[in-house]
Amino acid sequence: MKIKSALILIALALVSVEARADRLVIKGSDTLGAKLVPQLAEQFKAQHSGTTFDIAAEGSTTGIAAIIEGTAEIGMSSRRAKPAEVSAASGKGKNLKPTIVAYDGIAVIVNAANPIKGLTKKQVEQIFTGDVSDWSAVGGSGGKISIYTRNTSSGTYSDWKELAMKKRDYAGSSQKMAGNEQIAAEVGKNPNGIGYVGMAYTKASGIKVAPVDGVIPSQQTVLGKTYPYARPTFYYTNGEPSGLAKEFVDFTVGQAGQKIVAQVGFVPIK
Amino acid sequence: MFNKRFLFTIALASMSILPMSILRAQDAGALLDLLVKKQLITDQEAEEVRAELTKEISTTSAGKWKMSSSITELELYGDVRLRYEYRGGRRPDDVPQENDWQERERERYRVRIGLRGTLADDWFFGVRLETSNKRNSTNVTFGGDGGTGPFAKDDDGVFIGQAYLGYKGFKDITLTGGRMPNPLITTIMTWDPDLNPEGAAEQWKHTFNFEFGGGAAAETAAGYSKDGKTVAAATQSASEPFKLKIDVFANFAQFVYDDSNPENPIGPRSAVGGNLIPNTDAWLMAWQVGARFTFPKNIYAQFAPVLYNYTGNGDSFNLHFQGGDPLLSNADSMKLNQTGINSLLVLDVPMEVGWKLGELPMRVFGDFAVNFEGDDRALAAGHPEKGDQRYAYQGGVGIGQLKVKRDWQIEAFWQHSEQYSLDPNLVDSDMFDGRVNLEGVVVRAGYMLSDAVGFNLTWAYAWRIDNALGTGGAHDIAVNPLDQYQIFQADMNVKF
Repeated sequence: MKIKSALILIALALVSVEARADRLVIKGSDTLGAKLVPQLAEQFKAQHSGTTFDIAAEGSTTGIAAIIEGTAEIGMSSRRAKPAEVSAASGKGKNLKPTIVAYDGIAVIVNAANPIKGLTKKQVEQIFTGDVSDWSAVGGSGGKISIYTRNTSSGTYSDWKELAMKKRDYAGSSQKMAGNEQIAAEVGKNPNGIGYVGMAYTKASGIKVAPVDGVIPSQQTVLGKTYPYARPTFYYTNGEPSGLAKEFVDFTVGQAGQKIVAQVGFVPIK
Repeated sequence: MFNKRFLFTIALASMSILPMSILRAQDAGALLDLLVKKQLITDQEAEEVRAELTKEISTTSAGKWKMSSSITELELYGDVRLRYEYRGGRRPDDVPQENDWQERERERYRVRIGLRGTLADDWFFGVRLETSNKRNSTNVTFGGDGGTGPFAKDDDGVFIGQAYLGYKGFKDITLTGGRMPNPLITTIMTWDPDLNPEGAAEQWKHTFNFEFGGGAAAETAAGYSKDGKTVAAATQSASEPFKLKIDVFANFAQFVYDDSNPENPIGPRSAVGGNLIPNTDAWLMAWQVGARFTFPKNIYAQFAPVLYNYTGNGDSFNLHFQGGDPLLSNADSMKLNQTGINSLLVLDVPMEVGWKLGELPMRVFGDFAVNFEGDDRALAAGHPEKGDQRYAYQGGVGIGQLKVKRDWQIEAFWQHSEQYSLDPNLVDSDMFDGRVNLEGVVVRAGYMLSDAVGFNLTWAYAWRIDNALGTGGAHDIAVNPLDQYQIFQADMNVKF
């Protein structure tokens, strides 16, 4: 009887270890983690029964930090790792390896009722830095501009400063939102609103994409780098990924994964 | 396809020829982007190289420095100077101890280390640490510690010499606040170069470029850069035109000269010697407008008239300037007020003309100042008949320059500062011991031993101008009046 009980306990322990090994922790970018990665995970799970995912999309900074701290196997990021992060990783014996998983264009969105036909890069900079505070200054019909941005842990927040604002500070009046969907929702409700979201979030109701220098983000303009706010998005791993993480990275950049990338609204890498 | 190690080597090599200030991994981005655009590498390969570079750089000394992302440019600078100095002052001939000199010989050093930088959105800042707590000197005397044994560190402290911030976001305009480098164009006749005034300054500068010849004079648009430098727009002419560049500038300053504390005391204001302690801050106000004309063949001329005036008394300047009295004993003469700022409305006109003789820079320079309230200042000092002692002037020549190794320079000038002409708190503390009512000659010579190390010799000799008056001012030589004065300095200076 005692031998039987011991065997059962050993079997349960082995099952437990096996289940632990099939769990993949992914943290980071809201741009990737709100829509794309969950859909990739669903498809992956369909092909790898028993695999579970723990996905937390709280901003690129949290994803890279998770790799450095060893609390995730994959860190999603819509920006490159900063030198300070690379240095911190080295200090902890980690090696931040980027893998491009999709391209994105950060779209400038305004309320669907806004009469403007487009903006120039200069006007975009002026609006988000607060140099211009009324729509009439950029060809609109007047009204105080309401600016919606991502929060500071967001990779898009940093990318936008670099790509669109010449690294200047955001306007003091700008309102920080937790994610792309929240920005789209606020702009959709506010006739004087403006914000930026990844391409996958431009289909929300009540908003429209404002062309920048006459160009809107699309597969063609992003890949051709004619859209000024195009960027790659990344998975970060500690060195070359292995095991389940490698399988998921390979799946993401593979044909099936890239099909989902396109379906969600990102630009596939191939 | 290129392998990553090769790309890494290429990218790192390209970065090694860039200045340190831009030695950052992302600076290889342009090269990587070009390789991607030419389809020589893929985006993924570029990212991996970029990541390796960032990691590599983070292990270098430069890569370990962390700076705020709002800093767009940062400069570490400073100097270390060793000095031998002799200075002596002679009492007047008409006292019993004829030819009695008080003399000081000192071996001294100074250190100044500064950081200045530009910030995002057109802001800038600067901080400089200096030895010595004196307002008009950064020197520390070897062995000058007070009674705590040899090699003590009593006087070897480090102090904040400069701490300022500013804004250059408006075209041609620089706004500065804090404890700052002197924003005014001056000479040592009126301002000691070690002084870092405290308060606010507004500077405007615009460059006009003119061309004459081959047609009517034409003004070309002046270029503008945020560092305050002006860049002339290119112009073309069939024949070689006569080009004239005019920098027009205006500098305004409001310096807090002395703070009164408290402005509103509990109970009645206290008094000293029957005089109420002042309850207003003292301010030094300056208005300067000038121009620099740059002609062909490196000829230039600059005039920078400035008007100084004072408001309030602070709590340290409630006594009128007297400046010593030759009829009193030296001790009693020294007790008279030497630094009062009453009745000072000074127009000062520093000027300079320069040219090149072959490759040798030459210049003639001068300064002229008049105190429009000299009569009142003389009256308050007890010498109503000496209101004409209100002028100061300086004139000299200079040859050479001190910029790089083997450069040399010789400079000589005459300076004349009458008793009621200038603020004795501001005048140079070395050449004439921080005094007025002295005139004399100053000769300087310098040689650059390397790009960073220079050797300088300075000698000055001065005589009293008006023998019926003392020689007022903030002094090192405890003699008033100074009938004659001389100083010799030998400096070895390392700058970085």
